[in-house]
Amino acid sequence: MTCEQARMEMLGETEGEEFAAHIASCEECRNEVSRICGLWQSLDLLPVEEPSSKLRDRFYEMLGAYRQGLASNPTRASRADSVRWWRMPVWQLAAAAALLAVGMGTGYSVRGDKSRPELVQLREEVTSMRQLVALSLLQQQSASERLRGVSWAYQAEPSDREVLGALVTAVNHDANVNVRLAAVDALRRFAASPETRRAVVDALPTQTTPLVQVALIDLLVDFKDRNAAEALTKLAANRDVNDGVRQQARWALEKLQ
Amino acid sequence: MAQVSAGQVSQLAILFERHHRALFRYFVSMNSAREQAEDLVQDVFFRMLRYRESYDPAQSFTAWMYQIARNAGVDQVRKRRPAEVVDIDAVLERRTELVSALPGPEENASHHQDLALLRRAMGQLPDDKREILVLSRFQGMKYEDIAEVLGCEVGTVKVRVYRAIRALEQIYFALEKEKAS
Repeated sequence: MTCEQARMEMLGETEGEEFAAHIASCEECRNEVSRICGLWQSLDLLPVEEPSSKLRDRFYEMLGAYRQGLASNPTRASRADSVRWWRMPVWQLAAAAALLAVGMGTGYSVRGDKSRPELVQLREEVTSMRQLVALSLLQQQSASERLRGVSWAYQAEPSDREVLGALVTAVNHDANVNVRLAAVDALRRFAASPETRRAVVDALPTQTTPLVQVALIDLLVDFKDRNAAEALTKLAANRDVNDGVRQQARWALEKLQ
Repeated sequence: MAQVSAGQVSQLAILFERHHRALFRYFVSMNSAREQAEDLVQDVFFRMLRYRESYDPAQSFTAWMYQIARNAGVDQVRKRRPAEVVDIDAVLERRTELVSALPGPEENASHHQDLALLRRAMGQLPDDKREILVLSRFQGMKYEDIAEVLGCEVGTVKVRVYRAIRALEQIYFALEKEKAS
């Protein structure tokens, strides 16, 4: 065995007789083994960091939501099950040929990483899973779980209309004020959609909790939505509305002018 | 995983209990902040669930899991905004504190400093070299499995492990020299 070969075996999983014989006869390699193996073993002494208990909670919450989501959405469940046919060679061959044709076509028209079909598909599927978990959690009875659903909504695509709809429903109808407030904040992610702006304007007169009303007004100012002026004017003039909210509405009107 | 793949998704809990700590350590060792590492672990199990049908029972589960982990890590780096880039000095400082905080007699102080130095050296290794050391030493993976994760031959893994430990040695001694001067 040469020194070069011995170096490859220094950190190997098994030590052969040849290696042992080489080490016994080569002082340079013996010294190197001693040094390298010492460093190798000292890596074991580095402290092991432990995750927080939140990780476990979040995992079981995700697993539960996923199972519930599958149960309440058989089309997605069956879509997952339907993948089994894919394992049949004849379909794999046919699909491979089709994918090749589509891939070549796409390759000419799209550039960069996004042109890789498997990556695009992977991202799409992960996105749809996040949507599933967010929607499932937003329908839970427990307010804390619905709040977690709102957190998941941040991971949805800004163009995801289903998640947007669920957030708007939460803003308008959730019994818990914290969930409504969290949902208002989450709507910022969907700012680019005119549908979001319209939903926020529509929600303004229906809300009765000052905290949520103020949050909605702030959101409209952030959106710089001049179409909100009419709704804000009405709110500012309504004597039944909390003084602080009316003041906020007047401030928003000035900002939007 | 074969049971999860067959539709018994609740069995994923067993895999989580077995592997989440190792995955967390993998991501922390790859320089993710603790919170990001937890997000990534969650993401790995999420992807296992989503792509359970793609799991081949003939394949090593550990190798499959770390392939997913690597992809999740790459995706996170792509998504990370500049403001969220990990402050490596802060991470290393935190790790040094962690090492210094280990209980032990006073005579072990220099030993702790050596470990802190080793931590720093690990942090300064290029990603590919750090990864192969993490997989082989911290995660205790067989070279065959590492070869499957990295998509190379077992012989290549041996060469890379050797080069990585030599690079670590050089950085370690450079840091030691710097400290002494």
